[in-house]
Amino acid sequence: MDDMTTTAGALTNAERDILHEVGFADESTRAGTSILADQTMRMALSHDPGVEILPLAQALNTYDFVQGLMFGLVDPEENEHVRLVAEHMHDPLGHFIWVKPGAKVKLPVQSFTLLETPQGRQFTHDITLIDEGAEVEMLSGSAVPASVRKGRHISIGETYIRANATCRSVTIEHWGPEMEVHSYGWSRMEAGATSTSTAIMMSPIRHHASHSVSILDAGASATSQAVVFAPEGTSRVLASEARLIAPGARSQDVTRMVSAGGVIENRALLVGAAAGTEGFLGCDGLKLTDAGEIRAVPSLSALAEGTQLSHEASVGRIDGEKLAYLMASGMSEDAARDLIVQGFLSLSDDQIPASLRARVAAMVAEAKSGGM
Amino acid sequence: MLEIEDLCVEVAGKSVLDGVTLHLPPGELHVLLGPNGSGKSSLLASILGLPPYRITRGAIRLDGVPLTDLPLHERARLGIGMAFQRPPGLDGVSVSAFAEALGAGETLAREAAALDLTDFVRRDMNVGFSGGEIKRWEILKLFLQDPRLMLFDEPESGVDLEHVIAIGQAIRRMVRSPDRQDRPRAGLVITHTGLILRHVAADCAHIVRDGRLIHSGDPQTLFTHIQTHGYSVPDAA
Repeated sequence: MDDMTTTAGALTNAERDILHEVGFADESTRAGTSILADQTMRMALSHDPGVEILPLAQALNTYDFVQGLMFGLVDPEENEHVRLVAEHMHDPLGHFIWVKPGAKVKLPVQSFTLLETPQGRQFTHDITLIDEGAEVEMLSGSAVPASVRKGRHISIGETYIRANATCRSVTIEHWGPEMEVHSYGWSRMEAGATSTSTAIMMSPIRHHASHSVSILDAGASATSQAVVFAPEGTSRVLASEARLIAPGARSQDVTRMVSAGGVIENRALLVGAAAGTEGFLGCDGLKLTDAGEIRAVPSLSALAEGTQLSHEASVGRIDGEKLAYLMASGMSEDAARDLIVQGFLSLSDDQIPASLRARVAAMVAEAKSGGM
Repeated sequence: MLEIEDLCVEVAGKSVLDGVTLHLPPGELHVLLGPNGSGKSSLLASILGLPPYRITRGAIRLDGVPLTDLPLHERARLGIGMAFQRPPGLDGVSVSAFAEALGAGETLAREAAALDLTDFVRRDMNVGFSGGEIKRWEILKLFLQDPRLMLFDEPESGVDLEHVIAIGQAIRRMVRSPDRQDRPRAGLVITHTGLILRHVAADCAHIVRDGRLIHSGDPQTLFTHIQTHGYSVPDAA
């Protein structure tokens, strides 16, 4: 099988080590790999004929239809951050991943972003097209070397999941502790499409605002879970919206948040815009100290008769009875607290690829009341 | 091994134990009998140091070491373990993760089979467990902890007869065998139904009533007495 490769220089071992922490594996074990480092696409490679990965700038010149996908889900004037990215529309930085119609991709496709320059600035735009009837597992993440503490990253992601396609995705984020990140994701799921996504946001970061909008057509189904940890000095604002626009669309979104002194704001909106739609929002928070804040704001908007929407939200502290129960076996209070926090943040194994489970479990285990 | 002298305990200002004295020698297994609310569970909780019980007078010693000023986890590390009556569910904390945290992963694999809990290890602790599963898990938990003094709070309640036998045998096996450092153990069991008595071979029974330990004697004799005369002192019946 011929590889389809675009590279601007091989990754160093140090870069591989950094990326490994957020789920990267050697490209030979993946169906396709996309690596963006600072201002360069360092790797855009596929081993699978059903997957094509190109730098977005190249994809725009190669396929006319990509122009229709770019800013197809969001207006370039949406807000100041989107405008900033749109200003680079003539020479966009980011990837185009295309899983072709009917492709059943056995190995995962991985895409990662590295910010290697202290005080660096990144404005990226990624487009993912999972074509009709295709099936794929996507692993993505972001990372910085230990030397990068400050920097700014703004990203736009537009994802098209065509009719009856299936996408399972896991995203692991590990930015610098004093960075400012704004990430925007828009996705359009056509009839019968299925998406299962997991987001892991455990590392300290000065400010991360993420905004996502998903539009689900008839019979489309989206299941998402996220675990969010905020040690002191971290601020995370998550805003999400799922629009169920045709009968049979279903969405389930569960977020678990732990504040160890940091601030987490989770605003989730579920819109039932057609009869026969069904959605659930779950936001659970655990507050470990008196510092910081958890604000959970789940909202339901029913626009059509026959839409069924529900939500559950809770924020609490570690249950004293559970703590005592574990300590009664000889665990110190700190060890008992850690075990309870890890349990609270644990993710469903069946939503995480086997190759990533150990890494994800290790990241969750590192979440302690004192931070990672 | 365990010496309790004139123990008075209160919860939120209300007396729950009043002048309890009890001695439990190494290698012995004693049972506590008494009506609901008599103070049996309060006594076990006070020995272990569970909140919100507050000792107002008296002493508890394990092998001569005073316990009353020690925090819960230090008492557990000294060798006290308890099978809870109604343990809390711990979402996301699997039985195997708990065992690993205790450094008892190998013990889990070995002992789970004996209690018919082999498929248990991946489940979250006490989440979705049936009444019988909770009891068997609590016994298995003690195997993992390997305490010298074992406290059992109604281990047979909610358990079918077949598993009462298994639990009774497990309790007897644990209490009668030495710990991993080859030291003798001892056990204190609360029982309501008395079903467990047939299987644990207790050495002594104590009747607790209104926060007081009112009588001690042979377990089977006392249980027979209670069945006909209630929780009273046999000589006075």
